[in-house]
Amino acid sequence: MIVGRTRIEFEPRLSPNRWLLLAVPVASIFFALIVGGVFLLAAGHSALGTYSSLLSNGYTTFDGATRTIGFATPLICTGLAAAFAFRMNLFNIGGEGQMYLGMIGGAWAGIALADYFPKIVAIPLVLIIGSAAGALWVFVPAILRAKMGTSEIVSTLLLNYVALNLVNYFIFGSRGFFRDKSTSFPQGRSVSSNARFGPFGTTNMYPTVLIAIAMALFLYWFIKRSNYGYETSVLADSPNTARYAGMNATRLTLSVLLISGALAGLGGAMYVVGPAGKIDPGLMQVGFGYAGIVVASLARYNFVAVVITAILFAGLRVGGAALQISSKPVPIAIAVVLQGSVLLFALGGEVFRRNRVHIRRVEPVSTATKVAS
Amino acid sequence: MGSHRASGATPFALSARQVTKRFPGVLANDHVDFDLLVGEVHTLLGENGAGKSTLASVLCGLYKPDEGAVLRNGTQVRLTSPRHGLQNGIAMVHQHFRLVDRFSVAENVVLGHRSLPFFLRTANLESQVAEVAEKYGLPIDPRATVGELSAGQRQRVEIIKALYQGAEILLLDEPTALLAPPEVEKLFETVRAMTATGKSVVFVSHKLGEVVDISDRITVMRDGRVTGSVARGDADTRQLAELMVGRDIDLTRRSARQSSGETLLDLRNVSVARGGVAIISDITLNVRAGEIVGVAGVSGNGQRDLAELVAGLQTPTSGTITVVGVDTANLGTRKVRAAGLAYVPEDRLGTGLAPSLSIVDNLLLTRERGFLVDRAAAQIEAETFISQLEIKTPSALTPTRKLSGGNSQKVLLAREVFSKGDNSKVIVVCSPTRGLDVGAVETVHKLLDEARASGKAVLLISEDLDEVLTLADRILVLYRGAVVHEAHGDTADVEAIGYAMAGLS
Repeated sequence: MIVGRTRIEFEPRLSPNRWLLLAVPVASIFFALIVGGVFLLAAGHSALGTYSSLLSNGYTTFDGATRTIGFATPLICTGLAAAFAFRMNLFNIGGEGQMYLGMIGGAWAGIALADYFPKIVAIPLVLIIGSAAGALWVFVPAILRAKMGTSEIVSTLLLNYVALNLVNYFIFGSRGFFRDKSTSFPQGRSVSSNARFGPFGTTNMYPTVLIAIAMALFLYWFIKRSNYGYETSVLADSPNTARYAGMNATRLTLSVLLISGALAGLGGAMYVVGPAGKIDPGLMQVGFGYAGIVVASLARYNFVAVVITAILFAGLRVGGAALQISSKPVPIAIAVVLQGSVLLFALGGEVFRRNRVHIRRVEPVSTATKVAS
Repeated sequence: MGSHRASGATPFALSARQVTKRFPGVLANDHVDFDLLVGEVHTLLGENGAGKSTLASVLCGLYKPDEGAVLRNGTQVRLTSPRHGLQNGIAMVHQHFRLVDRFSVAENVVLGHRSLPFFLRTANLESQVAEVAEKYGLPIDPRATVGELSAGQRQRVEIIKALYQGAEILLLDEPTALLAPPEVEKLFETVRAMTATGKSVVFVSHKLGEVVDISDRITVMRDGRVTGSVARGDADTRQLAELMVGRDIDLTRRSARQSSGETLLDLRNVSVARGGVAIISDITLNVRAGEIVGVAGVSGNGQRDLAELVAGLQTPTSGTITVVGVDTANLGTRKVRAAGLAYVPEDRLGTGLAPSLSIVDNLLLTRERGFLVDRAAAQIEAETFISQLEIKTPSALTPTRKLSGGNSQKVLLAREVFSKGDNSKVIVVCSPTRGLDVGAVETVHKLLDEARASGKAVLLISEDLDEVLTLADRILVLYRGAVVHEAHGDTADVEAIGYAMAGLS
């Protein structure tokens, strides 16, 4: 890249710099806060005051922290879903829709089946059926990708809109199975009490968060230690090597996408088991599925890091929401601006993590020759 | 070499004087002289890695020579880029085309032309392109989308592009590699049409049989040096084949043995056809325990397909393949391995090894792995190999892409040949020393020798004839997917082999 009379050169780093592994995320948060501060000042708010209030509302008070962790629960799942697929260079952008399907599947099981089982069976049943619904939602894109190489990015993304309209139809467009018929106000029909966890004490945290964290730890172990994890790593690294070793690329691709869909679906089902207890169109306002993609990229597809990133990310939203009801309300959009800035700077920072950057003066006459690889 | 330089009166359109070009670990061009007359077709002939393409790249301005000079019409030019080369009337058509698939033929042709107006007048360009195409017998529709064209048609686009941009000298790098025979004939007609109008052509090729007819002169390269230059009429194909494979290098040929061991690999009448084209035709070969059978041949004559057939990565259209008594033709690679096969592919890092994975993980690649992967045992094994084979690596957990070619080849050989103990009885090895330095070549050869000594059957498929001659007890020559020549390691007639490799039996 040439800017004026200086040339900026990127030289790939041969070995990763451990120090930068920490420095880049910290620096990206710092720069994101500066960008957010510009917007805050422009809107007539104090940047430092807003940030300190964001911090206490989102993280450092008991109420804020528990609210954040509760809010993060589905986000951990969608983050895991995205990370699981990304690890194999599969871009499941459909976590959002798969999560809705998880909510629909979970609500169905919670209404139709949960009454027949004790709580200890009913809740896992709801979670499993929700996951299965999420997997089902990605099945067509997955099979198209695995067999014919059709871009999963487009197909999974488009299905998000189908899923969104499906939820809208169930709640607003019809008076069917999922609709609460006892009131004219359009809302979902509550699931059996057998299918629900109560919160921890007076907090907004549900036991589902423990399941989500356990899932992250399990996946971390499973991918590191199992033959399945090994084969997916080989396939992701070098498809020719996988073929050479006799691995079944079609089956691996298919299964990775299905598991990814199931994880997103689990997030939706947890929303039913936890705070919602029914199909709640409010879930669609949050965008957990898309946020999960961001969380997964920031966590660099490390499942344990997904948990931490998801909680940090959720805190921005929770803290941002709290700002709205302060004496001088700050719009929730500022939290979204911060999220976006963090992502932009973190992804931009990758350049510095992967490359050494040199700035050189351009010689008067360029004698650069291109060398064919 | 260079006797033609005395001709004096005729000016050289393009010359190389003592051109030397080094790449890390390789001396690609070693004081090379080359002269191209106006209006002639001059072929650069040589095996893969002989330095032909490097020389062509120096001549067109893509590479800067480390030493020596390039002369255009007798005056030295310092070419700084292919664009600069083009300004001097020199253009190269690369083996891998550099076209924009989504653009039309006409758009591709004018792409990069300096004097283009801001708005293209497409109709105008199309007629200009059609005119150039017409003149040199390159039938093509200027409006066609390049992505939809065949390889031969794309090549025409590249040639038209070079001519449109004012090239007087065309360097064609392996131009027939992707062409079907009728297209080759068409290309030759074009080349003749070009030289008839005073343009000069450098034809880079390793296909001896093909170039004899088209060339006015043939310069042969080997190991980065020019080994001879022959004018049309004097071109004796036998002599050229000899120059190409070069017997001047002293060969410490290991004495071949006649193995009386059990036949461990047996191919009978194996054929493969793809889309109606025969890839492998009627190959029958066997390898006994304690024997190395070498398959020689110029690249692209079915070597890879043969290896993949034996390894179970392809299935034959007809014929039988037996590995240690098991019919493996349709088993799939995992079961073929279970029957006792090991396979060292030519492409080490992209096929034989997963580049981002550690040495330990790569050792596990062709093993039976349970539900959980046992890395602890593999790590101990990896460390043993690292010390035994002197693999230079920071640790057993280093990704294989960080190893040198020789060291990654050792990892691959360790896994395929030695780690499975007595389990692997048949070893298929493809070009095992390609790109390696002398020391590593020696180690690899020693390892293959050890495998032979321990009673394994080794099928060595290599484009390096020296290697085949050094190692093999028996030698087969592969040409266009068929075995065209057979010889014993000790009594092999190098000339006859070179001849067979060029398809001139």
